[in-house]
Amino acid sequence: MKKKIGKALVVGSGISGIRAALDLAEFGYGVILIDRLPHIGGILSQLDYQFPTDRCGMCKMLPLVDRDASSQYCLRKGLFHENIQIRLSTELTSVEGEPGHFQVTLRQKPRLVDPVLCVGCGECVKVCPVEVPDSFHAGMTTRKAIYLPVPHAIPNPYVIDMEACTRCGDCEAVCPTDAIKVSEHIHRDFRVLVVDDELIVRDSIKEWLEDEGFTVNVAASGPEALDILSKQSYQLMLTDIKMPGMGGVELLQKAKEDFPDICVIMMTAYATVETAVEAMKIGASDYLIKPFEPDNLIQMVFQKYQEHEAASEAPIEVGALVLCGGTAYFNPSEGENTFGYGVYPNVVTSLDFERILSSAALQQGRLVRPSDSKPLRKVAWFQCVGSRDIKIDADFCSFVCCMHAIKEALVAKERAEDELEAAIFYMDMRTFGKSFQRYRCQAETKHGVRFERGRVHSIIQDEASGDLIVGHVDYTGTHKEEHFDMVVLSVGQRPAPGTAELAEMVGISLNQWGFCKAEPFSETLTSQEGILLGGSFSGLKDINDSVIQASAAALAASLVIHTTGGSLLLEPKSHEPFLDISQEPPRVMVLVCTCGDTLSKLFDPQQLARRLKTDPGVDRVFFLEQTCTAAGWENLVELVEKHKPNRILIGACIPYLYSRKTRELGRRVGLVPGLIHVVNLRLMDQLSKLKDETPSADEITAIIHELSSILGMGLARLKWADPTPAPRVKIFQQALVVGGGIAGMTAALAIADHGFQVDLVEKEEMLGGNLTWLERDLEGNITEIILEKTRHNLEKHPLIRVHTRSRVLGSYGQVGRFYTTIEDKAKGTFTLEHGVTILATGGMEATTTSYNYDKSEAIITQKELEQKINDNKLHPSQLESVVMIQCVDSREEPRNYCSRICCDTSLKDALCLKRQNPDIDIYIFYRDIMAYGFVESYYTQARKAGVIFIPYDVAEKPRVTVTDGSIQVTASEPIIGQKIRLDADLVVLATGIVPTLPKDLAEAFGVTVDQDGFFQEAETKWRPVDSIKEGVFACGLAHSPRNIAESIATARAASQRALRILCHEHMPAGKVVAEIHHSLCSLCEQCIDACPYGARTLDLDLEKVIINPAMCQGCGSCATVCPNSASTLVGFSDRQMLDVIDSAFE
Amino acid sequence: MRLQYPSDIKVIIIPCTGKIDILHILHAFEKGADGVYVVGCMEGDCHYTNGNLRARSRIKHIQKILDTIGIGGERAQMYNLSSNDGPRFAEIAVEMDEKIRKLGPNPIKLAQNTAA
Repeated sequence: MKKKIGKALVVGSGISGIRAALDLAEFGYGVILIDRLPHIGGILSQLDYQFPTDRCGMCKMLPLVDRDASSQYCLRKGLFHENIQIRLSTELTSVEGEPGHFQVTLRQKPRLVDPVLCVGCGECVKVCPVEVPDSFHAGMTTRKAIYLPVPHAIPNPYVIDMEACTRCGDCEAVCPTDAIKVSEHIHRDFRVLVVDDELIVRDSIKEWLEDEGFTVNVAASGPEALDILSKQSYQLMLTDIKMPGMGGVELLQKAKEDFPDICVIMMTAYATVETAVEAMKIGASDYLIKPFEPDNLIQMVFQKYQEHEAASEAPIEVGALVLCGGTAYFNPSEGENTFGYGVYPNVVTSLDFERILSSAALQQGRLVRPSDSKPLRKVAWFQCVGSRDIKIDADFCSFVCCMHAIKEALVAKERAEDELEAAIFYMDMRTFGKSFQRYRCQAETKHGVRFERGRVHSIIQDEASGDLIVGHVDYTGTHKEEHFDMVVLSVGQRPAPGTAELAEMVGISLNQWGFCKAEPFSETLTSQEGILLGGSFSGLKDINDSVIQASAAALAASLVIHTTGGSLLLEPKSHEPFLDISQEPPRVMVLVCTCGDTLSKLFDPQQLARRLKTDPGVDRVFFLEQTCTAAGWENLVELVEKHKPNRILIGACIPYLYSRKTRELGRRVGLVPGLIHVVNLRLMDQLSKLKDETPSADEITAIIHELSSILGMGLARLKWADPTPAPRVKIFQQALVVGGGIAGMTAALAIADHGFQVDLVEKEEMLGGNLTWLERDLEGNITEIILEKTRHNLEKHPLIRVHTRSRVLGSYGQVGRFYTTIEDKAKGTFTLEHGVTILATGGMEATTTSYNYDKSEAIITQKELEQKINDNKLHPSQLESVVMIQCVDSREEPRNYCSRICCDTSLKDALCLKRQNPDIDIYIFYRDIMAYGFVESYYTQARKAGVIFIPYDVAEKPRVTVTDGSIQVTASEPIIGQKIRLDADLVVLATGIVPTLPKDLAEAFGVTVDQDGFFQEAETKWRPVDSIKEGVFACGLAHSPRNIAESIATARAASQRALRILCHEHMPAGKVVAEIHHSLCSLCEQCIDACPYGARTLDLDLEKVIINPAMCQGCGSCATVCPNSASTLVGFSDRQMLDVIDSAFE
Repeated sequence: MRLQYPSDIKVIIIPCTGKIDILHILHAFEKGADGVYVVGCMEGDCHYTNGNLRARSRIKHIQKILDTIGIGGERAQMYNLSSNDGPRFAEIAVEMDEKIRKLGPNPIKLAQNTAA
């Protein structure tokens, strides 16, 4: 099959941008990944720890299929995939065209440090005279005006903070590669005209700007300005608005008519700001209010200069756009600033605290507070700062802050070796995600984090000690005061800067708070086909949801590219077959990068060459000036093509940067990737050891020795490298989907729409699952619309075979080829072959016997209530009092998880009843209202509608009694501190969701279920829909409790993950893969137990251990446990390892 | 970040610490290494699920062997860190370097030198 080809643009390179880009790239599309910042990683570049593991683990997102297409490298540092082109400091400026054929233009900000030339030596930092607070470390340390935006990023060119830079030019003078262009002469050509009737104004502006190196001219009136403009071209005009005769606005109009490209800034007195705003509508690009500080003016002129320099590039054609612009955070110093952020040094935000926690921050991981470096002993977290606050128009929940605070508290406690007291002040602890509730319980019971319900009203700083006195009221109304060393504000979200502009440009709508709005039942689709939303761009999400949604967006993007013909990218290069060199002795070409003349200045490189040539495997040794540059690499390729070695060793720096290049080189000259090896010479380290500029003979000998040892270790690996190409696994390009609810149907359609056959197995007679009884969602969208549309598309799809009243009896096989036996009540038993499996077996409302459920017909579950409402069997007009009880049998052992949708459902039902009969008294007994995200506004609506919410503690649940057919509910009311008794006409129990994922079914496909019976994902955050066994995925309620839109997102994500396998006829394994020498194998099966991926099986017929190379990820655990060295890892055989060790100590 | 760490440390890259073999480590001591340390992912966060836990128990085992044969178990160590935590990598290198310098040269090397 010809590979599907096309191109997509991913805007924003945070976690969701990376996920979407990787998904599309793994599917074979070309991806342009842009970010307006000079680094990738978004907010995660500042977060070192993520719950629930309290570690990182981002690398688990790296490709598992055809994994050599990407460097297997720390993903927080850098992303290197051959199909992904990363463009940093770049913005999207226009989008035209139609789905499948968008013309996009990008604009890259001019970079004063050329990222290609910068080698990151850091000489510039030594001479930079400016020190400013380092925003990466939340201002706890300082940095220079020339700095690394993310210290650990790779590649990592320096950037200049133009606001702080004094343009002294010292860095430019010391830069060894001439990468820096900061001094004035570069903007001499940017001509500015200043128009003002006041001499003092125009002269001072002229002076300020000339000091900055701009060319400036002045005019005293409109006509004079026009005259000057007609004689010479200007890039920028600054004009006063109020001038005698021709005013600024008229001048603007006339100037724009004749010189449309000129950029105009209006200068105005405060009184005429409105005029200035009007002027912007007719073409002015900005305005300044007089009087202004020189710095403000200069900064604005610099900004215009940069925009002018960043000339838009030629349009690029892409099939689809995935917008992953992320979100911004609330700045607590805005507005009333109740908590004194920015005033009291020991009040920090949750993001600031991340940097305090980070061991990479400069306190060496010691937990101290900013004001006096006192070790932290008592810290408070305040939740909902800038969220759930109607006063500041933030009637939404920011989704992640509760878990974020618990995680910070736990990591802080661990760091302080438990000598730290942590208190979290909250309204509702929103632990609605999979495993979150247990995490919270552990934090409370095992680690002693204190959870204080109630709101904090004030903070006062104790002047003497710097401690913070926190005044709060708990929900019984008791006023309390407590001292803390530090307070962490869990800041809520705000739309990312530029969201509105981007939305307008592409024509998508925003919600009332300015976040992007997705279509009903979808988290990713927008009103514009081909323009998708990923991650937090439509409202803050945690990593798990962002990753799921990004994959779902990638799927939707891929579908658009696919259906519109998609062949925009170059045809995949056909390459020469790999040479068979298995019978040849090693002929290694060693290529050493001398890093300019750094190495040759020290000694004659031939000394090193002679040493290396003592090894008979070394054929030739060459020295190249800069292999990292395009020209340097071309030289290298020429040498290889000329001399045709059968192994290549490259000595350079940052080996990870070479993975794409070496793969291309290998294809060009017919060498398998394992025959080309790059070692890190650590040349800069060698040099830094020298005591002065002219090294002694001994020092030089030591360096030569060290370099030849490093190269020798590389040689040792290469000489014994296996020249056979990596194995491939044939893929049976069909899918099986188990379960015909909305998730299963969505997944089946998504795969079939990409041209692959799908079998869908459903146990019931009808497709539709829970949507057959669920009528509408909280927002009022009718589920029937989506159900009918999906069912219709599915049933008429030529590539989908639906098997209703069927079930899976058993399955055998692995990724690439499964054999599954199906029992169909009508057609009997048959076997299907398929390459991948998606489990969408769903879930259902839990049954209960609590609260006297079986004692009265008027005590019902949420589902029963919905059905009654839908069937018109319930008459709200006849109801006086309704009690709803949340968390029935859930959020406590053994079902200690939140079902995520029950609060949402109660709000929906309560509002529905109240709409029909506003006089009904509705009481909702709850533990924490899980109105996460934008659901919060419905919680507000319900309270406004008069629904009464009463919190209860799990130790003291409400009691429901039935006497003579009438129902009483008794409970403690914590606010009044008394027992209450309610007569109820109806009691509704929120029993939550249980999965229907039978254990034997899971086992048949080799996947495990978690303690609650849900699908156990390979990794909750980074691989949320994969199983640890490749080729099996899960979605919908079998995966975790989710609402409809979220379930559909998991289905799309699962099908995207499946498609990256299905799209290969033969799936290539990585170059580092396990092998087995059957003659040495004693069938002890230790390797089978050791393999974390289930890639090894014992074939009883053949009496052999079989490896599926596509499932093997090359960790080498099997090779180490093998008592006979029958199991080996390509590239790391005993012979290689022992030789490498020998070389290291030569 | 261009962090400095002691130059007498040779880095041998392996895909996962679960790949370390007792034989390889002993071979390094035989060849004259004064100390060997293994740096893996944080516990609970192994890229390959649990290789670092296997490595930990192997290092414990090697320490026993080294103690038994008179080389000293302290010369083999296991560390865990995140791959983006360069400063900690440098810190570990310094810590190990200091520890080994205190212990002095590997007795095998001394014996070999005397024999020669």
